[in-house]
Amino acid sequence: MTTDTDLQRAGEILAPFAKGTNNPETNRLDVQIAASDLPNAVSALTDASWGFLSAITGMDLGAEANELEALYHFCEGAAVTTLRVHLPRVDCPEIPSISDKIPVASFFERELGEMLGVKVVGTPDPSRLFLPDDWPAGVYPLRQDFKLEQAASVEPEKTPEPGKVGNKFIIPIGPQHPALKEPGHFEFAVDGEIITGARMRLGYVHRGIEKATEERNWIQNLYLLERICGICSHTHTSAYSQGVEQLAQVEVPQRALAIRELVAGLERIHSHLLWLGISAHEAGFDTLFMYSWRDRETVMNLLEEITGNRVNYSICLLGGVKQDINAEHSASIHKALDYLEERIRYYLHIVTSDTSFLQRTRGIGTMSLEEAKRFGALGPTARASGLKRDVRLDAPYGAYKRYPVSIITDERGDLEARFAVRMKELLVTCFTIRTIVDNMPAGEIATRFPRKIPAGETVSRVEAPRGEVFYYIKSGGGESPVRLKIRTPSLCNWTSVLNKAVGHQLADVPMLIAGMDPCFSCNDRMVTVRRKNDSHTMTWSELREYGIKKYGQGR
Amino acid sequence: MTTFTALLSLMFFPAGITLILSGMLYEWADRKLVARFQNRVGPRWFQPLADTIKLLTKEEIKPQGLNSLLFYGLPVVALTGALTAALYAPILGLAPVYSFPGDLIVTLYLLSLLTMCTGLAGWNGSSRFSLIGATRSLTQLFAYEAPFLLALLGPAMAANSWVIKDVSAYAESHWMVFTQPVGFVIALIGLMGKLELPPFDAPEAETEIVAGALTEYSGRGLALFHIGKSVELVVAVSLVTAFYLGGIGNPLLFLVKTLMIVFLMAMLQAMLTRLRIDQTVGMWWRFGALLALLQILVLVLLKGWLA
Amino acid sequence: MNIQQNYINQLMEKITTWARVNSPWAIHFNSGSCNGCDIEILATLTPRYDVERFGIKLRGSPRHADVLICTGPVTRQARERLLRTYEQMPEPKFVVAVGSCGISGGVFQGCYNIVGHIDEVLPVDAFIPGCPPRPEAIIDGIVKLLVHIQSGTRPAVTIKPGVQETA
Repeated sequence: MTTDTDLQRAGEILAPFAKGTNNPETNRLDVQIAASDLPNAVSALTDASWGFLSAITGMDLGAEANELEALYHFCEGAAVTTLRVHLPRVDCPEIPSISDKIPVASFFERELGEMLGVKVVGTPDPSRLFLPDDWPAGVYPLRQDFKLEQAASVEPEKTPEPGKVGNKFIIPIGPQHPALKEPGHFEFAVDGEIITGARMRLGYVHRGIEKATEERNWIQNLYLLERICGICSHTHTSAYSQGVEQLAQVEVPQRALAIRELVAGLERIHSHLLWLGISAHEAGFDTLFMYSWRDRETVMNLLEEITGNRVNYSICLLGGVKQDINAEHSASIHKALDYLEERIRYYLHIVTSDTSFLQRTRGIGTMSLEEAKRFGALGPTARASGLKRDVRLDAPYGAYKRYPVSIITDERGDLEARFAVRMKELLVTCFTIRTIVDNMPAGEIATRFPRKIPAGETVSRVEAPRGEVFYYIKSGGGESPVRLKIRTPSLCNWTSVLNKAVGHQLADVPMLIAGMDPCFSCNDRMVTVRRKNDSHTMTWSELREYGIKKYGQGR
Repeated sequence: MTTFTALLSLMFFPAGITLILSGMLYEWADRKLVARFQNRVGPRWFQPLADTIKLLTKEEIKPQGLNSLLFYGLPVVALTGALTAALYAPILGLAPVYSFPGDLIVTLYLLSLLTMCTGLAGWNGSSRFSLIGATRSLTQLFAYEAPFLLALLGPAMAANSWVIKDVSAYAESHWMVFTQPVGFVIALIGLMGKLELPPFDAPEAETEIVAGALTEYSGRGLALFHIGKSVELVVAVSLVTAFYLGGIGNPLLFLVKTLMIVFLMAMLQAMLTRLRIDQTVGMWWRFGALLALLQILVLVLLKGWLA
Repeated sequence: MNIQQNYINQLMEKITTWARVNSPWAIHFNSGSCNGCDIEILATLTPRYDVERFGIKLRGSPRHADVLICTGPVTRQARERLLRTYEQMPEPKFVVAVGSCGISGGVFQGCYNIVGHIDEVLPVDAFIPGCPPRPEAIIDGIVKLLVHIQSGTRPAVTIKPGVQETA
């Protein structure tokens, strides 16, 4: 199925609902839909198994147009179909929810609600996702008329009690990063030891970046977006550069694209090794944490040699890259990869054969292929369940057409599979990096780039170590974007974790969350155990220790 | 013993100050070894001393709503238990300071006193979850305690005595690590389980061992628990060495033997991923205790057959 | 008598300061950072940098810690928690702000959800600039703080790693 046939098929499926269609780019189809038709249109797409919901963008079209717009982006291979719904620009225009068919949409709908002031009717959890508790009601940051003064702190509303009866509630402090303490935003309802329900609330790392991009020019945004996440910073800059280059219709030199892919590969290695160490620490194996991070230093050295910094490499420019790879770099890369490949094989051996480690990972958190599809899982979490979803395969971008990567999947879908998939991916990555280094195309590393980007919209998708990163960029012809929408993969993967957690024991929760390698606002959360009469809080480390003690492991 | 010599041995040597200092030495040895196994440099030799002094000089915050008596009293009781247990154990390769029939049992009870104090401290905590944390640690205490006791019982049976002094004397001529290897392994692993229980500090990244039991403590209380833990380490390791590795004998040799045990423990701590240790508390109770019981059965039969 | 008492007091002071400088237990708090600084802080525990050599242990409970290592521009949601963590720490305590975000808000200046400087929320003793600062810079900054504590003063100026101090 090529992109064209995919788009054609989508057009046919949506024909009964379409008020208007448009092909803004060769791989995109925009379909105007009325708000009332939205659930049916979405059903039509899901029934025909056309793609998956990648993101929902909310936009304020401005005082002149006097409308809001909600865009629902569906991706199938390289084709992107966007359902566009226009809404009146009043305080709370209504739009029906689609989260009964697509569970992951509930997060997007929450975001739509709090950022733009859209009332999504029928969404299961309308509470705030990102904005703080003391944010004044009725103030929507993504509206054009939003002023900073409006955001003055107010008395936080009483958070509604989740309506469960008789069970204990546990709100664990979230993922990674040991010894971080912040109070509660996951809620797991527990019956004895078994989890019966899960909810989530984020917001501790919410910095208002999407809004901030509207106030910075195209070049400044490059440096802002890099710092969305210190672990996958290159992914964000590549996605952004790629999108803006598409808008400006500038062709980037092949050599630059190759270097981007090379650095992306190195980032993947550093990210997976980092994750391996943190997961090992969560399971109680600090020795593995120390070893893997020691080996990770090899990659950090390499990145520093090539780009000048260990973290936030900032190698992407609009129109190319900043640094070139010379013979010296090539030699270092090969040498480092020799060492790393050996170590990665060793770690692969450990995660698949170490008995005590397997006890924490084998058969736990098993997600079937069907569930992975339904929950909208992305990245290695999805691939470990056999779902062949990878932007590098589905919609090869940059130099991936020239240096393709093979996709690693695993049938088992449990935590062990996720570990194995990531380690094997690293071996593939090492091979790809070597290929690029040995076959670097000659040429420039950057090309001229205009300061003002012509008006238009574009979609840019890139495969981060954690899954697909989705960028929607709209330019008005000026020096700043009109709207920049970023959807990071971890937000989608939470749905799968929250759903899979049900039925598992509390002691498995740290490993379950670690297993999806969360990156987005990775902050520690508190666990609140609420009995009928009182509630008490558990910190992440306590929860982690709970898990370790349950399984009787020490160090 | 005159009162003067008694006080001297209680406060300075071999119990008291010397004991606390040797506790710090053992703690350092353990942390340093684990660090080396993890490919790191590890702490400096005076680190445990600095830690303890610093804790003693920190402000002590008593959270609201806790029972004052328990809050201030438990660390003292815990440390007292550990220090008292040392009086009957052959620490530093010297004969126990005091000795009476049945002191083996008393010593073992005194050793568990520390963990029970930790459990009570958790129960006293302001967050109900420290109760859960305390319960869990006490459960684990029972899991490791039984096999450990049985493992120490083996040599006692072989020596026909409940007095630590006599068992050590007997062990001098009989290296029971060879005649009761199963017992030795159980003792070693039980020892690790016992000492690794909260709040035995680990050297690297935040390891909050006790899910809540000692979280409320700061300053002096924490320092006393900390010292108590290292003293417990000395006492327990000395007991195992004396029983299995050839009694007391030469103090220097004894020190080397105890450090060997510490080395083994550090190695197991770092290598835990590779060792086939039973994972759940229930399994350890059945597996470990069963084996130790088996060992004792064999002993009883052997004695009956030999007699 | 007075001289002897003085001497003993001084000796106790010396011992206490020595102990505090050689055993600074740290607690790490992320108040909205992109994780770049946090990763570099964690990296200091790993074999290549190994801060345990300095006696630094990363603790989980604020009640056990002496130094609060804080990263990130303080988001509004995190502000309360940060304050509460600081209040739970027993005296004497020190605060280290790691990374440009904690010093000035970094690239996130002007964003609607952040407070910006950590020292608007807490009294900071040492700032370690960088985006993110290398693990060596972090260690250098903390060691410089320890040197100041040793000499009995709280640092009055920003400590910049790698720069020779005049005071």
